[in-house]
Amino acid sequence: MSELPPRSRGVIALIEENCTSCMLCARECPAWCVHIDSHQETVPAGPGGGRDRTRNVLDRFAIDYALCMYCSICIEVCPFEALHWSPELATPESDLRELTHEKDRLRSWMWTVPPPPALDEHAEQAKEVVAAERAEQRARR
Amino acid sequence: MSWADRLRDVYVDGVDDSTDPVAVDVPADRWVQAVTAARDTLGCTWFDWLSAVDEGEAGFRVVCHLVARRRGGVDHLVVRTLLPRERPAVASVAGVFAGARWHERETHEMFGIDVTEDGEVLDLERLLLPAEFEGHPLRKDFVLASRVVRTWPGAKEPGESESTPVVKRSRRPARPPGVPDPEEWGPRE
Repeated sequence: MSELPPRSRGVIALIEENCTSCMLCARECPAWCVHIDSHQETVPAGPGGGRDRTRNVLDRFAIDYALCMYCSICIEVCPFEALHWSPELATPESDLRELTHEKDRLRSWMWTVPPPPALDEHAEQAKEVVAAERAEQRARR
Repeated sequence: MSWADRLRDVYVDGVDDSTDPVAVDVPADRWVQAVTAARDTLGCTWFDWLSAVDEGEAGFRVVCHLVARRRGGVDHLVVRTLLPRERPAVASVAGVFAGARWHERETHEMFGIDVTEDGEVLDLERLLLPAEFEGHPLRKDFVLASRVVRTWPGAKEPGESESTPVVKRSRRPARPPGVPDPEEWGPRE
């Protein structure tokens, strides 16, 4: 079996914790295959005072792989890196409805997402690496 | 002599080597001669496909991909011609490449471009679309009816679901791209 190239597009995985129900992926999807339901919850103000905050809670996040065309727009547009490519292929099903993967199944695809390919050796270092190195130097002083 | 130079020798004007494969734009009334020259003078004996591009106001561009096989490789050529938007018609090249007739039938169905032979518009047999189908699907102004009737998943606001509608909308609800205003297109009572 030949090695799959890095960033191969097999199936989309979701990190539910990162998703803020901003709806950007559902709006940008050209195939209209991302289905999101969410509701708002209030987080009461802490003991230090301040006001109550509202946050979105994701109820349903489904991708219909019968319609998905693997264009990657949802993954590119997500501001919170909740969606990732996995090289695993979506399993064939005998019922079309089984091709709609719900939240839990999308999370299980996350375990098959490979780490991102290394940057080219002449590229700029990632910001996180630069920041971490600087923090370490500051701590040593 | 490079491939683009040989094309310039034959076509003089209209050779565009900024694209890969190199393309040549010819006037619509010289369409059959251009394809014949590609086959006979430039050795493009392999017909790949013929189709069209809806370029909006500019009209329809009929595109034909031909390949010249040589020892050690192939040379690609894309021959193009621009047709007006109203009553677009192109001469048939089935006399040059018999296999082009299938592609002309498809282009006629999908774009509504007439195909002529000796000045007469050919009555081409239906190829892919069902008999009752109305309209030309690959034109840019063809509305996808299924998208007009289907609910767009992106219509919901963050924090909205079927059971918990959002109390206050912060902005005008967005309409999905490509779906026309219900005032101008859609089912009528």
